[in-house]
Parts: sequence; C-alpha cells; structure tokens
Amino acid sequence: MSELRLVPKRVDEIAPRLSSASPAARAWRRFRANKLAMVGLCLVVLLVLFCLVGPLVWRTDQIHTNIYSDLMAPPGTPGHPLGTDDLGYDVLGRLMKGGQTSLIVGLLAGLLATLIGTIWGSVAGYVGGVVDTIMMRIVDAGIALPATFLLLILSAITRPSLPLMIVVIGLVSWLVPARLIRAESISVKQRDYVQALRAVGGSHTRAVARHIIPNTVGTMIVNATFQVADAILLVAYISYLGMGIQAPATDWGAMLTKGITYTYQGAWWLIFPAGLLIVITVCAFNFVGDGLRDMFDVKGREA
Amino acid sequence: MRAIPIRILAATLGAVTAIALAGCSSGSPNSTTGSGTPGAASDQPVTYALMPDQGPSWVAPISPPDKMVTANGALHALMWVPLFQYDGASGKLEWDQKASAASSYTFSADNTSIDITLGNLTWSDGKPVTSRDVQFSYNLVKNNTDLWGSYSAGLYPDSVKSFTITDDKHFTITFDKAYNQQFLLANQLSMIVPMPQHAWDIDKAGNPVGDYDQTADGAKAVWQYIQTQAADVSTYATNPMWQVINGPYALKSWAQDGSVTIVANTKYTGDDKPSITTVNFKPYTSNDAEMNDVRAGALDYGFITPDQLSAQGQYTSLGYNVVPWAGWSITYMPYNFANPTMGPVFKQLYVRQGLQSAIDQPTLSSKVWMGAAMPGYGPIPQNPPSDYLSSVQANNPYPYDLTKAEKYFTDNGWTKGSDGILACTNPGTGAGQCGDGIAAGTQMKITVTTQNGSQQTDNMMAAIKSALSQIGVSMTIQSVTLDNVLTTAQTCKQGTDCSWQLVFFGTAGSWYFSAYPSGQSLFSQTAKWNCGQYYDTKAFDLINQMLTSSDTDIAQQYSAYLAQQLPVMWMPNPVYQISVVKTNLNIATQDPGGAFMPQRWSWTA
Repeated sequence: MSELRLVPKRVDEIAPRLSSASPAARAWRRFRANKLAMVGLCLVVLLVLFCLVGPLVWRTDQIHTNIYSDLMAPPGTPGHPLGTDDLGYDVLGRLMKGGQTSLIVGLLAGLLATLIGTIWGSVAGYVGGVVDTIMMRIVDAGIALPATFLLLILSAITRPSLPLMIVVIGLVSWLVPARLIRAESISVKQRDYVQALRAVGGSHTRAVARHIIPNTVGTMIVNATFQVADAILLVAYISYLGMGIQAPATDWGAMLTKGITYTYQGAWWLIFPAGLLIVITVCAFNFVGDGLRDMFDVKGREA
Repeated sequence: MRAIPIRILAATLGAVTAIALAGCSSGSPNSTTGSGTPGAASDQPVTYALMPDQGPSWVAPISPPDKMVTANGALHALMWVPLFQYDGASGKLEWDQKASAASSYTFSADNTSIDITLGNLTWSDGKPVTSRDVQFSYNLVKNNTDLWGSYSAGLYPDSVKSFTITDDKHFTITFDKAYNQQFLLANQLSMIVPMPQHAWDIDKAGNPVGDYDQTADGAKAVWQYIQTQAADVSTYATNPMWQVINGPYALKSWAQDGSVTIVANTKYTGDDKPSITTVNFKPYTSNDAEMNDVRAGALDYGFITPDQLSAQGQYTSLGYNVVPWAGWSITYMPYNFANPTMGPVFKQLYVRQGLQSAIDQPTLSSKVWMGAAMPGYGPIPQNPPSDYLSSVQANNPYPYDLTKAEKYFTDNGWTKGSDGILACTNPGTGAGQCGDGIAAGTQMKITVTTQNGSQQTDNMMAAIKSALSQIGVSMTIQSVTLDNVLTTAQTCKQGTDCSWQLVFFGTAGSWYFSAYPSGQSLFSQTAKWNCGQYYDTKAFDLINQMLTSSDTDIAQQYSAYLAQQLPVMWMPNPVYQISVVKTNLNIATQDPGGAFMPQRWSWTA
C-alpha cells in the first residue's frame, strides 16, 4: 500500500509568475500582443513621416497656383506621380500638405478635448452632489447638440484658421471624455489612499491633481487616441462642407470635396488618395487606441 | 473598436468608393444652334429646364417687385407681346420687330417725343391690338408706380409728359426732356406691354369692363383687381383673363412648383409663329437634380455647371450639344473707397492699375472657368459685340503683367518688406510717393469677401491670391453666402464701421443690363449699387449724358473712361448658363438677355 504524501509546493509555483521586466516593458509587451495595434502604430508613424518628412524629400510649390501648366494631369505625368489638381498643384505634395493640417488639427484638438474632458469629469466625479449633477447635465445638453452643426455655425461667423479649428473642434469634443473620466474618478475617490489624504488634511485640489487624474491616465490615453481619430474626421467634415481653412492651405477633407466636383471627369486621383488617407489614418488611430486599452487593462491577463 | 467610428468610417469609405448676352433713329426689322434643316410645325414637345430658384411665379405682365424673376418676364413676352422687344436673336442685342407690338417709330427732331405705329396683332378673342391697349398699360403703371417692380424714380412713367392717341394704330409719347434714343427704346419703352383693355379694365370683381384706367383712383382699382386675379396660381390655366392673349403661345398649365406648359396660340396673327406646339418648363431645386435628368435624357434643353465642361463627352454621347449662353452682363469686384484703412489706398489710380495688371483674365476664363467665362475689361458687356464698346475696353488697357503690376507700386513709394509684402515707405502726396491718406508702414493687405458654393469662383480667387502674392500683395479670402456678400456690400456708406474692402458676387455675372448698358444704376453718385462709393465727376457726367445726349459715341467714351479708371476690379464674366440641347433641336441664338424664345425653336429631321 502506497503512502499518500503531501508535497508542499514552493511559493514561486503557486504565486503568479512575476516578470523581472519593468512595468513599462510589460506594458509594451501587452501592446505588442495586439497585432492590429502594431499595424496601427506603424501606419501612424508612416503617416507622420509622409506628412512631415515627405515635403522635405518631395519638394513642390503648394503656395502658388500654376494655372499655366496642365491642369488635372493624370498620375504618371512627368514630375507628378499622382497627377495635378484643377489649379496645377502636384497631388502628391498636396496630400503631404493636407495631411499636415489634418494630423496637426486632429492631434491638438484631440488632446485639447481630452484635457478639458479630464479636468471637467474628474472635478464632477470627485466633488459629486449638486455640482456633479449640474456639470453632467451641461455635458448631456452639449452631447444633444450635433457637433457638425455647431462647427458649421462657428465656421460661418468666423474666418477659419488652423488655431481656430483646433480650439473649436476641441471645444465640441470634450463631452464624451468628461463622462468617462467622471465615472473613473467616482471609483478612484473611494480608494483608501484618497481617503487617507483627506484624513490627514490634504486639499481637494491635491486629491484631484495628484491622485484622481493620475489614476485615470489609462482611460485618458485610450480615449485620446479615439478623440484624435474623431477630430480628423471632423476636420474632413467641415472642409468637405466648404467651411475649412483658406487656400492655399488645405486638408484631406478639402481635397476630397474638390475631387468629388470632378467625379464625372474620371479624375479618380483627386478622390481616392485623399479619401483613403482619411480612412487609413482614422483606422490607425483606432487600432492604436484598442492596443492601449489592452495595455492598461490588466484584469484577467498575465502581468 | 467603438461603434461610432466604424459607422463613420463606413460612410467615408462608401463615399470614396461610390465616387469612382444698336443704334438707329427709325425702326426696321431684323432676325443658330442645332444641326440639320428646321422642320415644320411639330407635335413633339420640348422640355426646358429652369435654373434653381428661377421658377416662374407670376402670370400678369405687370409684376410687383417680388415677382421679377427672369422666367416670369420671358413667359409674359410669349403670351403678351411687348411694345418693343429687345433681344439677341440676330446675334446682336437689338430691336426684334417680329417679337414686338410696334412696327415702326419716329423720333421728333429734338428727341422729346416719339410717334409709334402698331403692327397687325389681334387678341385671341378676335379684337385688334390698338393704341388704347398701350394707353391702358401706361395708365395702370403711371398710377401704381410704387407697386410696379420695374419702377425707377424719375424714369418711365415719371418721364412721360403726355400720351396722345392719334388713331387705333398710331400714338405719340412726349417726354419731359430730350433723352438718348437708344436709352428710351431699349430701356424704357421696352417695359411697356400692351394689355387687353377691352377685357381687363375692370375695377371690381363682377363689374363690367369700363374705362376705369382713365382716372387715378380707377387705375389703382384696376391694378388691384389684376393683381388679385394673379395671386392665385391654381387658377392661372383656367381664369379666362389669362386666355386673352396676343402672343405666339397660350398657357396650358401652371403648377404651384413653377412647372409650366404652354401651347402654340392658334389665333396668333403676328409674324413670329412657332413650330414647336408644346413646351414644358420644368423647375429644379438643385443643379445636381437637373443634371441627373440631363443624364437620364429626360430634358431636351437643359444646363450643366461649368465644372462639367471638362467632361463634355458624356453629354455629347447622350445626344446633346453643349452650348454656352453668354449673358449681357459684366462681372467685377467693387473697391470700398470708404474703408477707413484701405479706402485711401484704393483711391490711388496706380494701386488699382497694379492690382488689375495682376488679373490674367484670358487664362482664368479658359482654364479656371473652362471656357464658361469671357474676359471683360470695362463697364460695357463684351458679348455679343455692340456699338457701345470702345476699342480701349475691348483691347484691355491693363494686360496681365506681374512685373509691371509690381512696378506700379514700387514707382509710387512702396517697398517689399522681409515678409514679401509691399509697404508704404515713402508717404506723401508728391510724385513717387504713396498718396493722400496713406501712412508710412501701411501694408498691401487686402481682404476679399466672396460668395461661396462655386468651385470655379474658389479656384479663381485662389489663382488671383497666388498672382497678387507674387507682386507683394497679401490677399485674404473670406467666403460667405451670396446673400451675405450682397448685404455686406450695402452695410455702410462711410465711417469707421465700413470694414469690407472688396466684394465679389459674380459667380453667375455681377450685373445684367437692359439692352442699353448705361451705368446709371452702377456707377452714378447716388446709385444703390455704387456700393464702394466711387466718386469721379467726369464719370458721373458721362453716365448722365448716356441718358440724355444724342451723341452716338457717348457710350464708347463712357466705356473707354471707366475701363481706364477702374472704378472696380474688372473680372472674367461667366456665361448666363451652359446649355445642353438635344442635337435635333434647333434653338437658333440664345438671347443674352436671358429670355427663352421657343417660337424660334424647331425640331430637325
């Protein structure tokens, strides 16, 4: 008869396996595990290089029109791999120039929206009560108004410019982040370390600035990527509706609008490149956003 | 990934993938697009497209101010023949006797009166058109000037001293002073439309026909009666009033949306008999909707937008001829001489010369407008050619030359700064100095408030901005709606709040003239549309002489002077519309005045 023996297991066998890698390296590993996120990140890098470094390599005059050259020359025309538009601008160079506007406005407006939303949401969630109710009803009212409608009204009564578009898009895009951050801050403010801070006389400002906001950074960053993608689309929308920035500046939405005018002329090179770049950019930022969500969300995952 | 971005992306992807218009002292008569031989009377109807917001809305030939749409006037002329019809049927904008009630006229030696003889037209009820019918029309207008859309204070009917009937076919109109003959005929007497006094001289519903128009109160009552009858669109085709006509066509139907069908008037006795028996006028709410119908072959005579000119093949392959329709118009950008900052700059002729020299009208017309605009260098319409056009204007006194354009500035105290923008560095009023009211450091930064919604206008402004930047002029483009531009242009007459600098409202031409293109309404000192407060006593004198002088060269003097003085920035003049016409439909010449004349159309074999 054999003897039943209990063999004690070592601690490292029953405890979760802890990596010797740093937290950042572990986060990067989680991000890399999402293949679409990696594809998105590569695309964002390529797009940034295309828009910001591209003009240094492919030099074209995107300031002066050239109505004395071939207008709407098809792709493959010597000196114009993607052809020219109806004012003689080189389309490849125009895509780079337009991309700068789209990316800059998108990134800065997205970040502005996230910043405003974070502050608004964290204050509402932390303070609670009547203040929370009033602040969130303002958010609800704002969400009920179509952003495109507000943008068109503002564009009609002001002269569109790059800084103005950043500010305006940022000011109509912070509502959703505010809701997310509020929910997060309500949770965080119940945590022991926040209670401890208050118990030892720490101020509300310190509680929000040093504890609430830093502990919602994951939600903030993930949302920021989606905000950037949405802002790029909003730029495209208002430019498509003819309310974008002034020539000779352009963006992909404005290029798409112009191209559509020439649909029946078969000038596909005025439509597809700009349209596809909008789609690719928005997809890329959304993929990255998904990856970042995975990166910050450790529940049920291996550390 | 979130649902909203996916939906937005799908919409974006879907959008991307789915898009894969002459002078004489006594009258005499005068008179082609399409191919083949004009046919005889045809039962095959013609469907004609009306431009958005241009649908007919008023049946009576005396229109109130809010019913002055071109289509109304054109339809009226088909049913009630004007006393003097001026159009471009001959290829030149002149008196079209076939389409007029008058057959001849003679001016008095001092140009203060005119004897007019009527032709042999009859009303559809068999009664002849007489001098009394003309007097009836005159009496109504004279006593209801404030209600008449064509009224201008001091001009017809205010300028008429007496109306004397000699007999049924002859009458004399005497004026308060001598007027230029062409001005009288083309711009004043052309507004008179004989109306059936024997049928319409009614002061109240239910009352019999009388001579109510002979008194002021009676004329007011008759006017009111006619206007009341015309207020109900649903009765246009059935009201017996509107069936008493003398023109080549009669009204068959008139819908609330502006759809109108006319049929040949079988009782017409004039010389302008139609061969097309039925014409359908179809209104549209958008250009795209109309062009879809063109592509579907649902229209016989439609239009396309200028950007479609580069793809004419798709329309010719559908059996259409593409025929630009030049309007009797000019296009320009007014300078605001009352702007507190830039007004003094614009008042300098050298500044206006420099800016004008940077406008390459021939290239803009051919490449940006794709041939849908024609260069215009002065105050007289250049298409079709006329006796009013001076050689100075026709030959462009300020041809495109950027070097010369910049020299206008550098020769007058302006220097390019490190930012590439010209600044006044030699202020003062002497030779070679910037000029009165221009402070040192003033930069050549201009703002153009332009109408939006047109790719061609956007592109033209971008091209002009580009050209101006090369001579050191910084131009800011402010795109707003047409209504906004027109309101802006009228916002101020002087003062610090007069902020606009230049305005452009010429996507479809800035100004359409009556047959005699006087500048009375545009550049005279008190004209409403001298919106930039242009002030030049010689120009004002020439404009006044155009109305009163018997000098046949006065129009050319006016043309040459304003082409050189540049009261506005002259711009390419877009055509009235780009017509697409079925190849077997002969439409003769398109009227630069914007009227359609289906009585001259015919189907070819």
